[in-house]
Amino acid sequence: MSPGLRSLLLLLALALLAPFAWHVAKALPQFGSPTAAYGATVNALGPPLRHVSNMVAAVNFDFRALDTLGEESMLFCAVTGAVVLLRGTRGEGTNRRAGLIPGRAVLARSDAQVLLCRIACTLTMLFGLYMVLHGTVTPGGGFQGGVIIASAVLLLYLAEGYGPWRRLIRSPLLDVLESLGVLLFVGAGAAPLLSGHAAMSNLMPLGHFRDLFSGGVMLVTNFAVGLAVAAGFVMLLLEFLEETRALQSDSLPDEAQR
Amino acid sequence: MKALTAALLLLVAVAGPSVVLSRDPRRQLFALTAFGALLAALFEVLQAPDVALSELVVGTAVTPLLFAVALTSIALDRRRR
Repeated sequence: MSPGLRSLLLLLALALLAPFAWHVAKALPQFGSPTAAYGATVNALGPPLRHVSNMVAAVNFDFRALDTLGEESMLFCAVTGAVVLLRGTRGEGTNRRAGLIPGRAVLARSDAQVLLCRIACTLTMLFGLYMVLHGTVTPGGGFQGGVIIASAVLLLYLAEGYGPWRRLIRSPLLDVLESLGVLLFVGAGAAPLLSGHAAMSNLMPLGHFRDLFSGGVMLVTNFAVGLAVAAGFVMLLLEFLEETRALQSDSLPDEAQR
Repeated sequence: MKALTAALLLLVAVAGPSVVLSRDPRRQLFALTAFGALLAALFEVLQAPDVALSELVVGTAVTPLLFAVALTSIALDRRRR
């Protein structure tokens, strides 16, 4: 199809769609006006029913925990798929040298970069842990804390370089942690079934409002999500960064091969 | 609408197309990172700190890294395999 014809088709489609889009846009609520009844209901019911101050956590890990279980499994499957795909084409070699791009100079890391990244990594890791632990009290929670922890691990890569980083981050440990997170979530959801309650019922002591230990089963599911997300994302980083390692055949100098 | 919200909306509206319109992949990567950071700021201003935190890490650290790795992987000469 020629570019001219394509543009004509696009214009035709836009002209056809425009009146409908305008109609829908006019019916939208005013920008910034809170109209959702669900939000108001959750805000009103959350503190007395579940003793938590972060309503997003209450929705994610209690009221709609089954949806979160689905998302959790989705992330698990996505990470597994990426690992299978990448490792399948790359092989399970254990070369720990970074690959070199032909014609690009290799610059040594400066001491300032190493120091800054090490300090930032420690602080970011602490902040991630804080975020996971305070999931039911302040904004954030398992997913946010998990990705923050993963980004701290990424800072470690910037500080140490591929080889030492690869020696620190082991994939079997990540496998165990990620599976543990998913199993913990499923277990917390299925445990009430044993005593004849509905799945995902919140049977644990609820604790006090605005206390670190509030929300009952939310603490468990929140921690499980944090564990699975942190390990899953680090796994993803590991698999992708493995793509930049030197191949076994690269370990000989280029001249020797030719 | 507050001035800050309006300014951020405008910036996001500029940053979005700039990702699409930059043709060099490495430049596109930085445009994508800036877009992610702006989106995170916008979410924060719109009182969605949860979403802002996720977007900040996923949009400015993880996604650009995956693209950077993909570009590196292409640049590494792997034809000898």
